[in-house]
This record gives sequence, C-alpha cells and structure tokens, in this order.
Amino acid sequence: MPSETHAIIAVRGLKKTLRSGSTSLEILKGIDLSIPSRQFVVVMGASGSGKSTLLGLLAGLDAPSSGTVTIDGEEISRLSEDALAQIRATKLGFVFQSYQLIPTLTALENVLLPHELHASDDGKPRAQELLASVGLAERMHHYPVQLSGGEQQRVALARAFMLRPPVILADEPTGNLDSATGARVMELLMELNRREGTTLVLVTHDAGLAAHAERKILLRDGRIEADELCQPLAQNVGADA
Amino acid sequence: MKASAGELAWGTAWKIAWRDLHASWIKFTFVVIAVALGVGSLTGVRSFSLVFQRTLLAQARTLMAADLSARDFHPYTDEQLAALDRLEARGADHTLVTETVSMASTATNPDPVLVSLKAVDPAKYPYYGTVVLASGKRLRDVLHDNTAVVSEEFLLRDHSHVGDTLHVGNKYFTIADVLRSEPDRISSSFSIGPRVMITQSVLPATGLVRPGSRASERMLFRLMPQAAQHGMDISTLRKEVETILPQAQITDYREANPALAHGLERSTAMLTLVSLVTMVLSAIGVAMAMHAHLQQRLETIAIMKALGARSTQVMRIYLLQTLFLGVVGALLGVAAGFGVARAFPVLLQRLVSLPVEGELALSPVVIGLCTGVLTTLLFTLPPLLEIRSFRPLRILRRNVEQEQGTRLANIFPRDPVQLVSIAIILIGLAAIASTLTESTMVGEWFAGGLLGVLVVLLLAASGLLAAVRWMMQWQRRRFSPMVRQGLVNLQRPGNQSAAVLTALGLGVMLMMTIYFVQHAIVQDLQMNSGSPTVPNVFLVDVGADELAGVEKLIAAQPAVKGSLETIPIVSARILSLDGVPTAQLRIQHYPKRMLRSTALTWADAPPAGEKIVDGKWWNKTSEMPQVAVSESTAKALHLKVGSNIGFATGEKTFVAAIVAIVRADGDHIFARSQFILPSRVLAGQPVVWYGAFHADPLRVGEVEKSLFAAYPTVTVINMADVLEVVRKVVDQIAMILRFVAGFVLLAGGIILASSVTATRFQRVREVAILKSLGALRAQVIRMLSIEFLLLGGIAGLAGVVCALALSSVLLHRLDVSFHPSWSVSVGAMMAAAILASVTGWLASYRILQQKPLEVLREE
Repeated sequence: MPSETHAIIAVRGLKKTLRSGSTSLEILKGIDLSIPSRQFVVVMGASGSGKSTLLGLLAGLDAPSSGTVTIDGEEISRLSEDALAQIRATKLGFVFQSYQLIPTLTALENVLLPHELHASDDGKPRAQELLASVGLAERMHHYPVQLSGGEQQRVALARAFMLRPPVILADEPTGNLDSATGARVMELLMELNRREGTTLVLVTHDAGLAAHAERKILLRDGRIEADELCQPLAQNVGADA
Repeated sequence: MKASAGELAWGTAWKIAWRDLHASWIKFTFVVIAVALGVGSLTGVRSFSLVFQRTLLAQARTLMAADLSARDFHPYTDEQLAALDRLEARGADHTLVTETVSMASTATNPDPVLVSLKAVDPAKYPYYGTVVLASGKRLRDVLHDNTAVVSEEFLLRDHSHVGDTLHVGNKYFTIADVLRSEPDRISSSFSIGPRVMITQSVLPATGLVRPGSRASERMLFRLMPQAAQHGMDISTLRKEVETILPQAQITDYREANPALAHGLERSTAMLTLVSLVTMVLSAIGVAMAMHAHLQQRLETIAIMKALGARSTQVMRIYLLQTLFLGVVGALLGVAAGFGVARAFPVLLQRLVSLPVEGELALSPVVIGLCTGVLTTLLFTLPPLLEIRSFRPLRILRRNVEQEQGTRLANIFPRDPVQLVSIAIILIGLAAIASTLTESTMVGEWFAGGLLGVLVVLLLAASGLLAAVRWMMQWQRRRFSPMVRQGLVNLQRPGNQSAAVLTALGLGVMLMMTIYFVQHAIVQDLQMNSGSPTVPNVFLVDVGADELAGVEKLIAAQPAVKGSLETIPIVSARILSLDGVPTAQLRIQHYPKRMLRSTALTWADAPPAGEKIVDGKWWNKTSEMPQVAVSESTAKALHLKVGSNIGFATGEKTFVAAIVAIVRADGDHIFARSQFILPSRVLAGQPVVWYGAFHADPLRVGEVEKSLFAAYPTVTVINMADVLEVVRKVVDQIAMILRFVAGFVLLAGGIILASSVTATRFQRVREVAILKSLGALRAQVIRMLSIEFLLLGGIAGLAGVVCALALSSVLLHRLDVSFHPSWSVSVGAMMAAAILASVTGWLASYRILQQKPLEVLREE
C-alpha cells in the first residue's frame, strides 16, 4: 500500500448507494485509498464495478453516502455546490470518454472556457500553446462538429490542463476512439502530465493503457480488490497497443 | 499558473450566451414574436391615449368652442343673468347654447324624426373653431330665426332636401344648409338622432323648453382682449362664474374636456391591463422556451459546472440570453405598437369624432420597452433558478435524471426558492400594473385575479389532460394506432401541454367573455323592449296643459297595448344631506352630478312597480315634507330612513325627512324616479310630465305621427332607436376590446408554436421511427393533426367554461340576464382547435420532409 505522506488525494470509508424507488443499490462499499502528488494511477475494473462512481466522487461531482474525500488537504464531501465548483476550478482537470466539448464554442474557446470562468488575465496565449502542443494549431477556430473524435479529445486534453490543475481525472479517455487514435491521445495525455507535473487518475478497462501507470487499482463489486505499484512501460503507447 | 477563482466577466458571459443563442435562434423566434405582441399592444394603446390627450389639450378651446363653459339643467334667474352681463362689461363675453331632443318633420315626409336640437346665437357661436356648412358659407350668414341647418343624416333619414320646410315644435323653418361639422360636438349632451341647429332667439317660440324640461344649457364664455385691463384672466373668470352659477358644471380649456379625459384614462387603464395579460403570456412563453432550452443544455451546463463554473456564473449566461430576447422582442414590439396606434383612430372613428394622428409617443415607447424586458425577466426567474439543481454528475452518467416530483408537484413547486421566485413575480406584476394604472388597488387585484384565473385554467387543463390519460389507460385498444399516438403525444415529456393549454385557454376566455357580455347586454335590452308588459315608447316634456289630451290620444291609438303611465317631474337641486351643505359634500365621494341637479316626483300611494324595502309610506293627506328614496340613490348618497334632505325647487326651499326606501321592478315609468314626495309638498311648482307605454314595435311610427300632429312639442323616444345607439356603442367598445384581447389569443398561439418547436427533435425522431416502420405520410399527418386539434379543443373547452363563469359573474353584477349560446360556445372550441392545428403545423411542417435514415443515422 503506498504511503499517505504528501497525499494529494485521500479517501476514507467511501460508500455510495443509489436509490430508485424502494430499491437501493450499493455501488461503492467502503473505499480507502491515498494518492501521492504526481503519481499516475490507473483504476480498473469490470463494468458496474464502481470506477466512474469513484471518479465522480473524487471530482466532487457527486456526494458520497458516507466516508470522506480529501483533495490537497481539503475535505470536499460536505462542501456546498459553489465551494465544490471552486475546488474543481483550482485543483482538478477533467478528460471524459465522450469529450464533453461545448458544441457552440470553437476549439480555442472551449480550451479558454475554464480560464474565462475563473481568471481575469489573458489566457489566450496559454490556450493556443496547449492546442499547438496537441497538434491542433491549425484547427483552433473549428467547432467540435468540424473535428474528428481524436481531435475533439485532444481539445479536451488541452482544456483539462488550461488552469494547471494539480490533479487530472480521466474517464476512459480513449474509449470512443480507434486504437491508433487512442494511442496518440494517450501519448499526449502522458506527455502533458509529465510536463505539467500533475497527478493523473485514469479510469479504464484497457490493460494496455494500465501498463503505462505507476500504480494500478482494481475494483470489483464496489471494493478495492488489488492496489499495487508497478513499473511503467516506455511512454510510446502506440508501440504496445 | 493556476488561476485564483474569479468572476465570469459579463463580456465573456455575453460571448458564450450569444454563441449559444446563435445556435438555437429558430427556437426563440416565436418567443421574440410573443414579447413583441405584448409590447406592441401596450405601446400602441398608451401611445394612442397620450396622443389623444395631447390633441384634447391642444384643441381644448376649439372642442369647447369657448374659453370656459358652464353646463346647467336649470333656467337662469334674473340676478344670474344680470351678473353675467356685468362680467361681459369686464371683458368676459358669453353666449348660451341649448341642447335637447325633439321631434322634427318636413312636408315631404310627415313622419317625425327624433333629432338632437341645438340652439345657438350665430352672431357669437362658436367663439373658437368653425361650423362647417356644405355651402362653405358662414353660419351667421345662413342661420336666422326662420331657418335651420341640419346634418346630412337628417336629410337621408327624412328623404328631404335643402330648401324644404322643417317643422320643429310650434315653429316652421326653411332648411338653409347642410351641417358638416361643429367644433364642440364632442362636448354635446345628446347624441340620439341627427343634428338640427336653430337660433337661440327663436327657441322659446318653439315651445320645446319649459321649466322642468330636461334641456341642457351651456353658457360659453370668451375672454375678450380688454379682459386683461379689468384684471380678468381664466382663473378669475372661473371663480366669478362659480359664484354666479353655483349649481353649474364648469370646465375651462386648461382641463381639456375632463369627462372625456376621465373616460379616456379609465379606458386606457383597462386596455393597458389587457395588454399586460398579453405581456404576461408572452413572458410565460419565454419562460417555457427557456425551460426547454435549459433542458436541452443540461450537458453543456454539466460540463461548465464540471469545469468549475458556479451556478450563478451559468445563470449569468442564460440571464443575458433572456435579457437579449426581451430587448429584441420589445424593440420589435415598438414597431408593432406603431401599427396598433394607427389602427385605433380607425376603430374609434364612430365613437369619438376627434381627428387624432396614429403616432408613437416617446414615453409609452420607453414604458413598453421597460415593461417588456422587466416582465420577461420576472417570469424567467423560475427556469433560471432551476440551473442551481442541474447536477454536473450528468457528465459521467448520462442517465442521471433531474429530480422529478409528482405531476401535481410539478405544477405547484414546493422548493422554497421557487416559491419565493413566484412571490417575486406576483409582487413585480402587481407593481407593474399599479404603476401603469396609477392605482395600487388595481395592481393588486390584477396580479391576484390573473393568478386566480391562471391557476383555475391550469387546473382545468391538467384535469382534462388527466382525463385523456385515464381514458388512454383503459380504452387505448379501441383507438386506431395513429389516433392513439396523437392522444399519447399530449403527454410527451417536455411538451408543456398544460402550460400551452392555459395560455391558449386564457386567450379564448378573454375573447369569449367579451362576446358573451356584449351580446347579453344587447339581448337583454332587446328582450325588455319586446316584452308587452314593459314600456318601449317614452314621451318627454309633456306640458301640464297637454297631459289630458295626450292621454286621450294615446288611449285611442290601436297600436298601443295597455295604458299610458305618466310621471310628473319637478326640477330641483339638493342643498344639503343631513344638514351638511352640498358644497362640502362635493369634495367627498358623492356623485357630483346628482348633487347639482335632480328630479322630484310625487305620489300619494306607492306607485306601480315600487316596493318599500324600508320604512313606510305617508298618509295621503300629508303636507309634511317627507320623501321616499330609491334604493340605489340612498346607497349612492349614504342615506337611510330618518335622514334629511334639503331641496330647492325654483324659489322654494325645504327639508324633507326620508320615511321610506323603495326598490323598482324596472317595468314601470316610476323606476326612473329617485325622490318621491307627497303631492301637496310639490303643489304649485313648475312641472313637466313624462309618459311611457308599450306599442307594437312595427307601428310606433303611427303613434309618433299622430302625436306630432297634435302635440309637436312632445318628444317621442322609441326604445328601438335608443337600443340602436346603445348597440352601436357596445359593438364599438367590444370591437376595441376584442382587438386588444386578440393579441392575448395570438400570444397563446405563439406559445403553442414555441412549444412545438421546443419538442421538434422528439417529433422528428418519432416520425422517423414511424416512417421506418412503414407509416404513410397521411397517417403521420393525421397523428400530428389529432394532437394539435386536441390541444386546441381542450384549450377552447377550458377557455369557454371559464368565460361562461366569468361572464355570469360580471352580468349578475350588471343585473343583466345571461342566456349563453351553446352553438357559439361549440364554435369557439372548434375555432380554437383549428387555430391550434394551423399554428402547430406552421411550426412543424418541416418534420415531414426529413428522411428517416438521416435522422436515425444521427442517433
């Protein structure tokens, strides 16, 4: 079990139960984990094991039924909606399986959006630099509908790093992409992660991707079945795919 | 660089809002039109009113034909006339204008015509403005003691011509010219029958005006140039005239026809409220569209929240969108208001003969813009506040649904913030209505009443929808697939059927209430005049010396059914009530006209049709000044049995004690009397008699002819003529109301179109699936048509039911019987169904053109 010193993410006794009418379903049955700063962690598990629910709770997108989540020393489980928004803005970056770009904004505007929501200085140079670094310098004025899936996900990567968050949460970032495009996106994600010095928590059921992580957590039926440190492979994801 | 949390700049929020709007402008086109309708209606009504008031003020002297006018129903005393002459010596010239109704005929057509007679001194009248004659000559050159000028309408009705001999009262005149217009027509007392104008100096010879007759006299004054040398201006003149003629109703040019201005104010307030209903519906439309828009933007909002946006920041974006829609709609509304303002002079031309330009005034434009934007913002509060509850988790799990309550809870929210927002809407609406009508009470009643009506309509609509749902639950197998689909579509998620039904229903309700009330009033008058027990012909100004002869003549008429009822009238003034002089009462809430002039009558036993509701009648031989007062008069003057009234009749003054309060059945001539006294108390006073009888409506002409031949000074008023005038006025008022209420109906239709547009994507998908399953185009058309026809039909039903309820309450208060037409009610429901169908198809016809594969491939 990794050390808790300098943990940027700490989870204690985390449970989540969903209720639908008179029936209830316990998705997470008591999770304890601690993730130190700058670590690349992969969360794996079968469908319905609770991966996405855990990610949602780490992001403060959902409230736990019991237990606590601490991000960078701040316990977020009982914070108000506005305080959670503040945490998401300052400490977390997201990459989603279905890109989640705003269709009415161009690529550049999508990347700029977090900055426009939270900062007053000019964020354009940073947004342009990030888009260039993911190979979209020529397509920054295109709307999402004018971009391919891989390009949309690259825009989402740039957006996630826009405010230099200490933690990046990624939910199946290559799930909607073909293997070659997925590999390219994953390369970019790891490259940005290394360059920006962030903690990366990646949810996937792709064992190939997991091989590049420093730590692998396996979920089964709402519990951690395995949590192990591993030796990451070379950064060229495409070579393993 | 990890940025510290800041505020989303308004500029950035606007940029996001604009891009989002740009991507969904079709959806908002209808709501912009709806706002434009509300603002257009309000701006047009208030602009016309303001321009009308300005015209009244600018032409005040011309419309009065004088600087100052004193209206009176009493003959002037010698002292008063001497005092007026002394004023003339100080530069305040005066001239008398007398108006009454009379019978008139010509040699070419001996059947008499009821005319509005006006006697003037052509050497002085009019002081301002011009009497326009067909010949182009001046009035003073044409009108002499042996000539008369008549309106074109008289010549048409009498089949006579200029040069014919005209018989009025006891005199014969030559028709010298045709009267095109007179400047002070708007200030006239009588408007029954065409105008005949004669000289003031010949009037006594006609025998039409005698003590006690109801002729109206206006003394017109003009300040001559030398008035200033005598320190006489309009204020001092007014004070002097008020002293000389204390009972007169005095108006000067600074007031711009107070009676008309007051009527205009009240009409403007009412039409403003109807316009506000349109605006409220439009705002509800914007709120519904914004709600639907936000539902479609759930994911976008979830992304923004996941990126750290606070609810207030997201709300700022959609608030700006709402503001933009409100402003654009309001600006378009100002343009529409120009059209409304231009339409009003045309609609009013038969009611008020005043040339008013149809133009926009600045202040109504500003008021319209502000009201439009403010109302829109108020009503979009609830959907904007919904943003707080949108959960960012949706970004991870698409199937995360927003919390849904029960159907009833969806209609009546229980969230405290939503309840507060509804309270804010009501307070805001009351404040807007209070400001626009300058009455807090009206504002409160408007907001409360509108809320009540909307809740009733919403419940009715929800109830009818529930009935359809229940029917579908038990009987769905009985319907063909397309009919079933049409019925089920009413419950489509996001369809907002109940709200659409409420909006459409409100429009139908207003239109039908106007129709029901208008027709019930006219029908009630017609039924009363047709009843053989109710008089339908009235005799006015029968002299005491003529009474016996008139009675004999009427009794001999075969067209007359029953007997002639007569009532003596003694003209009087009220001096005091319970010892308080009327001068003090006039500044309180007492009917001023009643205090200035009234009519007394006598009866030594309770007259036919009068029922004593309090007190008792006096002894037949009583000489004590006692009085029986009609119930309505007692209420208006705050009198009861035991109160005292001080009267002046001619030179005699006396105080009478109230011994009885009476209620009339309305079928007898005494129903018009307000004060009945013992005959001995009024003995010796100048008296005129009024008469009433029922005659075969088709043979009233015969009676008029016989009476006119024997008693030319007796005026015969046929109820059918009065009814025609009333009908025209009621029709005109109803047309104006219907014109403004039409905007409400239109707003309801627009809301339906907006709702259809909001659910367009669901419809496209449904149609694509049906087509892929082999549904024919005609079947799809039938399915959608059934949905729209049902929506309109249910809205029509709810609207008609509410209109029936509202009309019966209003008509009960007006004491008018109500017999609604069921065929018209059904017709209204069908019209609503057709309107909804046409509107629905206009908003969704493109659905049919889409190929199923195109749609399903995008899934």
